Amino acid sequence: MTTATLPDGLDHAGLVELYRQVVTIRAAELRLRRHVEEVGFGGFWHPGIGQEGLQAAAVAAMEPRDRLFYAHRGLGYAYAKGMSLDLLFGDLLGRVTGSTRGKGGGTVHFADPELGVMGQGGTLGSNFVLGAGTAVASQLLGDGRVTVVFFGDGAAARGTFHEAGLQAAVWKLPLVWVCENNGWAISAPIAEQSPTRDIADRAAAYGVPGVVVNGQDPLAVFAAAHEAVARARAGEGPTLVEAKTLRIRGHFEGDRQPYRDDLTNPDEIPDDPVPKLRALLGDDGRADALDEGARAEVEEAFDRALAAERPDPSVVLRDVWADG
Amino acid sequence: MGGRVMAALSYARAINAALAEEMRRDERVWMMGQDVGRMGGVFGVTRGLMEEFGALRVRDTTINETFIVGGAAGAALAGTIPVVELQFADFLFTAGDEVFHKLAKWRYMHGGAFEMPVTLRLPTGLVGGAGAEHSQSLEAFGMHVPGLKVVLPATPADAKGLLKTAIRDRDPVLFFEHKGLYRVKGEVPDGDDVLVPFGQAAVVRPGADLTVVATGLMVGRALEAAQALAAEGIELEVIDPRTLVPLDMETILASVERTGRALVVHEAVRTAGAGAEIAAQISERAFFALDAPVWRLGALDTPIPQDPELEQLVIPNVDAIAGAARELRAL
Ligand SMILES: Cc1ncc(C[n+]2csc(CCOP(=O)(O)OP(=O)(O)O)c2C)c(N)n1
Repeated sequence: MTTATLPDGLDHAGLVELYRQVVTIRAAELRLRRHVEEVGFGGFWHPGIGQEGLQAAAVAAMEPRDRLFYAHRGLGYAYAKGMSLDLLFGDLLGRVTGSTRGKGGGTVHFADPELGVMGQGGTLGSNFVLGAGTAVASQLLGDGRVTVVFFGDGAAARGTFHEAGLQAAVWKLPLVWVCENNGWAISAPIAEQSPTRDIADRAAAYGVPGVVVNGQDPLAVFAAAHEAVARARAGEGPTLVEAKTLRIRGHFEGDRQPYRDDLTNPDEIPDDPVPKLRALLGDDGRADALDEGARAEVEEAFDRALAAERPDPSVVLRDVWADG
Repeated sequence: MGGRVMAALSYARAINAALAEEMRRDERVWMMGQDVGRMGGVFGVTRGLMEEFGALRVRDTTINETFIVGGAAGAALAGTIPVVELQFADFLFTAGDEVFHKLAKWRYMHGGAFEMPVTLRLPTGLVGGAGAEHSQSLEAFGMHVPGLKVVLPATPADAKGLLKTAIRDRDPVLFFEHKGLYRVKGEVPDGDDVLVPFGQAAVVRPGADLTVVATGLMVGRALEAAQALAAEGIELEVIDPRTLVPLDMETILASVERTGRALVVHEAVRTAGAGAEIAAQISERAFFALDAPVWRLGALDTPIPQDPELEQLVIPNVDAIAGAARELRAL
């Protein structure tokens, strides 16, 4: 057994569940890629492939009652927080079965307030201030919930990062920032986006901890996120966790990336978290079953989404107001 | 107001009373903004509230408009009812993404999964030398982006009753309170339950000869103009829509059907202002009742000058309203 090597807060059952989630998210990513290649897509798909491990691990460090604001790359966060593939694929394909009932199709608008999936805006960095706001609500209501805000290295440039960071630090809000630093903001490499190598350095400006971890190592991400969540819940304020990761694919699926010269085989994921987690499971044969289950779950859910209806045109006027 | 007890309150005190009553009524209601707590607001509107409700529910923020509005949005998504103050309505632009995207569209984009019960208190209009970036009337921006309600009280009673309605409303509300009206006193009905509904214009002066639709500071000026014209035998009907979203066109149209003439007056820049929308709707929907074209009065197409005398030249005064009404009546 590998229990001794697991970080605080993660037991063997948790590890198995984390593996199941990561392989399911990977399979979903690959299914979506195939869809874009074969059919095209009514909108943009920003693949999160290669970042699944860090997304699922950070969410595993949260409690069910906690809230998250996700970034635009992938569906890993929402799935790990408990949303079904039917809802997620339904949103992506613009079907009535999506969480937005066919309205907000595309990567950016999955939502389930009950599960703490708080949605996301189309303008990068808006999540910083909204996430600080849900954390204020938790502080006011004393509900013990923590908010986790995911964002990319590019989004960290927004002024909202500073405005939320400053206020959250001053008020010691129950908040965690998880930066998925994949080295690119569309065509701009991180060296042109940041004067320091680490985004986490910026935490010092707010007097809060900034932690850098290998984002391809889910256990390292879990450990850092777990500590940050505990700190936030204890009233000690926010933490900035920076997970170093890679952008395996283009900015969106279909982006040919003429601006990049570091491209290798797109089907190879350097420092891939999947085999790493698999090795930790031991050889009780469970991994094969989980792989198989994940693939089947994804295929069936995707077929159901494809077969589902597009929304009635009347939805364009729905949900503008609370009473209509 | 059927035998209700009335108290003479300033517009600022009426707003303060609404805030206090709503915070007492519902624990989920809270406030934040720059200097709203310890100082009681740069215009003194929130005085005493931190003492009563504590520093957790009445929060002094950093100079940080994107957080003040975006944080309120997040706090609303998480089950509280934020009322936030921007020190000047002009700072809507400093928090543009948060106001026009997050408040206005979060519910829609997410298929109705969330509510956004945020009230944004926005000191608006001329105050005497505040300059080009502290004196604007920006309500039309709120009308132009679906998802926001837009409120413009002209009297202490309306300020109180409309603010209470705004706080209880489940949608985001831009509440434009006029800086030049803060000290104006008026009768305000007592009682926690006295709400002024949205979407109901007030006919503040009945008259048969010409309909004047006025908002904010211009309501008082239109009434003064009406008094002056009454001496000449011209009876203006003055209507204050009170809320621009929702907009009570029925009351306005019914009036124009009777008078056959309409003048729309606001303090905001005339070009593409709220008056353009109201005038267009009158023309579309009451064309055959009109004896003359619909006219508009608004600020000149220029920034507000800093100088307190010069700034007054930019917005309509009583004489301009009376003059326009007289001319329009003669057409
Ligand atoms: C305010 C704003 N500016 C620009 C964009 C366009 N945009 C979308 S994603 C993106 C790059 C984001 O980079 P990063 O945050 O590092 O995330 P990544 O795509 O690398 O995962 C840009 C510029 C936007 N959506 N919002």
